[in-house]
Amino acid sequence: MAKDRSQREDYAGPLRRLFLGVIVLCLLGIFLVWRIDSPRVERFRAQVTDAIVPNLDWMMAPVTGTVNLLRDFQSYQRLSEQNRELRSELRQMQAWKEAALQLEQENARLLDLNNVRLDPRLTYVTGVVMADSGSPFRQSVLLNVGARDGIVDGWAAMDGIGLVGRISGVGQTTSRVILLTDANSRIPSTVQPSGQTALIAGDNTAAPIVDFIENPDLVRPGDRVITSGDGGVFPAGILIGQVAADRTGRLRVRLSADYERLEFLRVLRHHGTEEITDPGGLVAAPQASIAQGIDDE
Amino acid sequence: MNDLSVSYLWFMRGVYLTLATGIIFLHLLPLNTQPGQWAPPDLLMAFSFAWALRRPDFVPALLIAGVMLVGDLMLQRPPGLLAALVVLGSEYLKNRLGGLSDANFVGEWATVAFTVAIITVLYRMVLGVLAVNQGPLTLTVVQMIATIIAYPLVVIVTQWGFGVRKLAPSEADTLGARI
Repeated sequence: MAKDRSQREDYAGPLRRLFLGVIVLCLLGIFLVWRIDSPRVERFRAQVTDAIVPNLDWMMAPVTGTVNLLRDFQSYQRLSEQNRELRSELRQMQAWKEAALQLEQENARLLDLNNVRLDPRLTYVTGVVMADSGSPFRQSVLLNVGARDGIVDGWAAMDGIGLVGRISGVGQTTSRVILLTDANSRIPSTVQPSGQTALIAGDNTAAPIVDFIENPDLVRPGDRVITSGDGGVFPAGILIGQVAADRTGRLRVRLSADYERLEFLRVLRHHGTEEITDPGGLVAAPQASIAQGIDDE
Repeated sequence: MNDLSVSYLWFMRGVYLTLATGIIFLHLLPLNTQPGQWAPPDLLMAFSFAWALRRPDFVPALLIAGVMLVGDLMLQRPPGLLAALVVLGSEYLKNRLGGLSDANFVGEWATVAFTVAIITVLYRMVLGVLAVNQGPLTLTVVQMIATIIAYPLVVIVTQWGFGVRKLAPSEADTLGARI
């Protein structure tokens, strides 16, 4: 018996090793292709996700719902206490609501007086979060809207309050949103009221870093951060969050969007910001004479 | 359907595939969309190793490669690299310990821990050399340690939950060709 077996191994061993080598080479080949031509492989990834995840949705939704229900159960236990807190909060809020209504009316009146035209093309598609990235190293969610609904790479995704992320990877029926907290996320932004431009750079923590500020002295914790629309990819003026300083004194953004529970996201349709390239023939001097003037000096 | 029949073999390969799908499914549930301070163990890797050490014929290299590649694609990892490393790791473990029905679990655990550590280091190194943007080092270390700690639990589930055990030497002989 033992002899028999060793004979079989003589044939099987090298063949198996060859087969193993081919498998490993194929896998490493895929990895190298991904490194060289990332967009193509990422598109393939989006298609695979598009093919698999919607089929799991019938199971995903109830399981997620059940887990969230169990989590909520803990908060049901202190229901009466919460109720009391909410009542007192509601009283305060009613005062604020009155103030907000008055301000809204005033704002509408002023906008009307100044003939301000809000961007009519800024409409949105709402999608449901189906899945997250599944890895602690990447921060993204999968929405149930895709190329079928006219989603395009690069559009902004927000919840009701603030910016959540950017579309990156569109399948036929799904699309992936890279969250602001992902290490690959960079969003051009403006810090108000000082008007300093900055880059909001995710670093896999709950509060992204405020990077590349021209004059950090002008930026204080508590300032509002909104998108600047630089680069033409994003619409300008979407709220991102508030500046906060961490323990080491580094400026970060406390995000306005509720990242604890992302359920519905709005994807803003954006068709590019128009650029002004023409200097305006009547006012500016002709290009040639300017160049000559510089040469003379 | 006894332990050695061909239909049982294919049934158990199907069970492994279902298990892997289940693990990926659990990872994808949108329960926590905030970046966390710790990382869960890489159960896909741990189960692959535990099965490869008990019944190498249930998890042939091609099956592990397929499962890990789908895992790479679905879980937003660089596709192919971790899959290749896990395939190599499982083959190493099969050659090193497979087929021996010794009861020394501590030795097995140490070897698996060593393999997981080597895979983690190689993975970080290759990504670093190719200048791929990767997560913080602490998270990787936490995940590695979590995987090693979770391994005994994974083995318990494998042995008693799925009934995947090492074969007795006499059974192994009749199976010789497949292993």
